[in-house]
Amino acid sequence: MSHQVLLQKLTSRLPLGICVVNKEYQIVYLNDFFTDRLRHVGGDVYNKNLLDLYPEAAKYLAKKINSVFVLNNASFSYWEHKPHVFNFSSSRPITGEETLMYQNIEFFPLDILHDSVETVCVVVQDVTELASYYRAQRALSEELEQEHKALTELNKKLEAAQNQLLQSEKMAAIGQLAAGVAHEINNPVGFVSSNLQSLQDYNAKLFKMIHFYRKLIQKINNPTYLALEKDMLQRQQYVFVSSDLPELIRESIDGLERVAVIVKNLKLFSHVDNSEWQFADIVEGLENTLKIAVNQIKYKATMHCNYQENLPKLYCQPMQLNQVFLNLLVNSAQAIENKGDIFIDVSATKEMLYVAIRDTGSGIAPDNLRKIFEPFFTTKPVGQGTGLGLSLSYSIIKKHKGEILVESTLNEGSCFTLQLPFLAPEDYQLDQAADAASFQP
Amino acid sequence: MNTLLSEEQRDALQELMNISMGQAANALARLISAKITLSIPKISAVTPHKFLAMLTKRTVWYTRQSFLGAIKGEVVAILSKDGCDAIALLMDYDLPLTQDTLNELLLELANILAGACLAGFAEQLSLKAKLSMPTIFMPAALRVEQYRWASTLIMEVEFKVEASHFDSKIVICLEEASVQTLLATLQQLLE
Ligand SMILES: Nc1ncnc2c1ncn2[C@@H]1O[C@H](COP(=O)(O)OP(=O)(O)OP(=O)(O)O)[C@@H](O)[C@H]1O
Ligand SMILES: [Mg+2]
Repeated sequence: MSHQVLLQKLTSRLPLGICVVNKEYQIVYLNDFFTDRLRHVGGDVYNKNLLDLYPEAAKYLAKKINSVFVLNNASFSYWEHKPHVFNFSSSRPITGEETLMYQNIEFFPLDILHDSVETVCVVVQDVTELASYYRAQRALSEELEQEHKALTELNKKLEAAQNQLLQSEKMAAIGQLAAGVAHEINNPVGFVSSNLQSLQDYNAKLFKMIHFYRKLIQKINNPTYLALEKDMLQRQQYVFVSSDLPELIRESIDGLERVAVIVKNLKLFSHVDNSEWQFADIVEGLENTLKIAVNQIKYKATMHCNYQENLPKLYCQPMQLNQVFLNLLVNSAQAIENKGDIFIDVSATKEMLYVAIRDTGSGIAPDNLRKIFEPFFTTKPVGQGTGLGLSLSYSIIKKHKGEILVESTLNEGSCFTLQLPFLAPEDYQLDQAADAASFQP
Repeated sequence: MNTLLSEEQRDALQELMNISMGQAANALARLISAKITLSIPKISAVTPHKFLAMLTKRTVWYTRQSFLGAIKGEVVAILSKDGCDAIALLMDYDLPLTQDTLNELLLELANILAGACLAGFAEQLSLKAKLSMPTIFMPAALRVEQYRWASTLIMEVEFKVEASHFDSKIVICLEEASVQTLLATLQQLLE
């Protein structure tokens, strides 16, 4: 076998595409790898322009080949960046999922005459196998990453839940403390308050008497007595005392009334985990809740309350419903960025009680609307929201055989409506029995 | 600390480097039609420790590319993140760069610079060396203990594209055994 024949056989069997072009991109040499894939062109491909044979790749090929001619330096093309420079179909037409061949290409100067490149050789390597393996690996690692992210997310949620639990434990402890303190304070506040009422009363009587005596002295009209009286009044600062004393008493009574309100709220608050079923006035519950939430609301929103008159009492767990009201009110206040309004509307039909809490806050994106009742769904920053408020509210309302509805328009506001059926204690008995049973070991 | 080289050998090597790096700068300048400035080549012997210490910057990208022939080794290109967009424009890439086109650009740049440096250098010494494809290099994962060499010769040179604040460094690292070949060839030239 002559050397040339050997070379020819070799290049025809190589699993590489080899193409040599001159400065005009005319094909000087092509091996079988190319010609096998160029059957459709017909005729002799020699002296044809490479760029004409592969018009989609012409711009890129020209750039790469030019750089070799100019710089006298090899240049490379990677499947990661340009997977299919030549539109060769996949080498795995049956079993492979890819339709085009992935290629690494090297362009290098072949004939160099006096430092000037005369021909450039293009070597194409089929890396389909490698590429699809690599891509599968990458897909896998992306999947892993996703899973990892999901796990991290879950971890965070667990942490938040734990915090929430700790928080509610703390709240319960504070509640007990508050209940104790409230009870202790209530007694002295009671008698101080009734004493003050008496003081106010006696004080009025004493001033009436002084008034009477002064009139008497004036009637007698004895200059000596008058002078003595004037001196006495002056020395005892009668004018000031007579105006200040009733005011002091009034202020004290006011202050004590405030203490009484605070104590009452503390007592209410300390009963939040009370789940007793009873007939209760919903408006009263709302008002009590508002008092607790007032600090979170007053700088953000003006309250507008509208209650239908003569509402019947509802058989419910009042403290639990208060918890729902609180969640809704706090959400509304948190949804308002600067200043807005919150509307409370309570009405009833024969069968159903409606409590609507509407705000002019941020509104809820349609995508999120489906998710807000899911536990841990929150759009609030860490520390502000745990995403438990609505899911808790949902379960409370469900226990009352009610519904909780939302309407919301982004950037306009949201309205949460509670529908609570007027039912009799018997209607809940089965559930309560089930609840109780589930606590038994 | 450069015990590998005598003073005389070093001067000769530096002179060779100067010429070949000039050619590399020319190549880049021609390709992007911009003015390139060139630092004086630095030649030093390094330990794996020192070598890794060179590769800790966060403001650059790294590529690596090996060469084979009478002398063997690797070329590491260090390319600044600053000014990359400007170079991309000069080299006819579409902005903004995606991760893929950025990698493509970095590899192309590295290949041009490394190719020119090495070709010039090998030609001066009449030693043959052929470069393989460059790849992106993430040195962060490397540890000194993994290295099986004790000391080698590196030649660094910096290219700056003034107009666009782009800065790059080409480091030719010789395999331990090739240092001897290089020294022998140098010695012949000197005699
Ligand atoms: N009135 C509202 N306006 C706008 N968005 C709301 C409103 N109410 C609820 N949302 C949205 O629903 C999400 C879930 O509310 P939810 O009360 O369950 O949790 P949270 O308020 O984020 O946290 P938590 O109540 O546990 O402190 C909120 O993060 C918010 O995105
Ligand atoms: Mg909430």
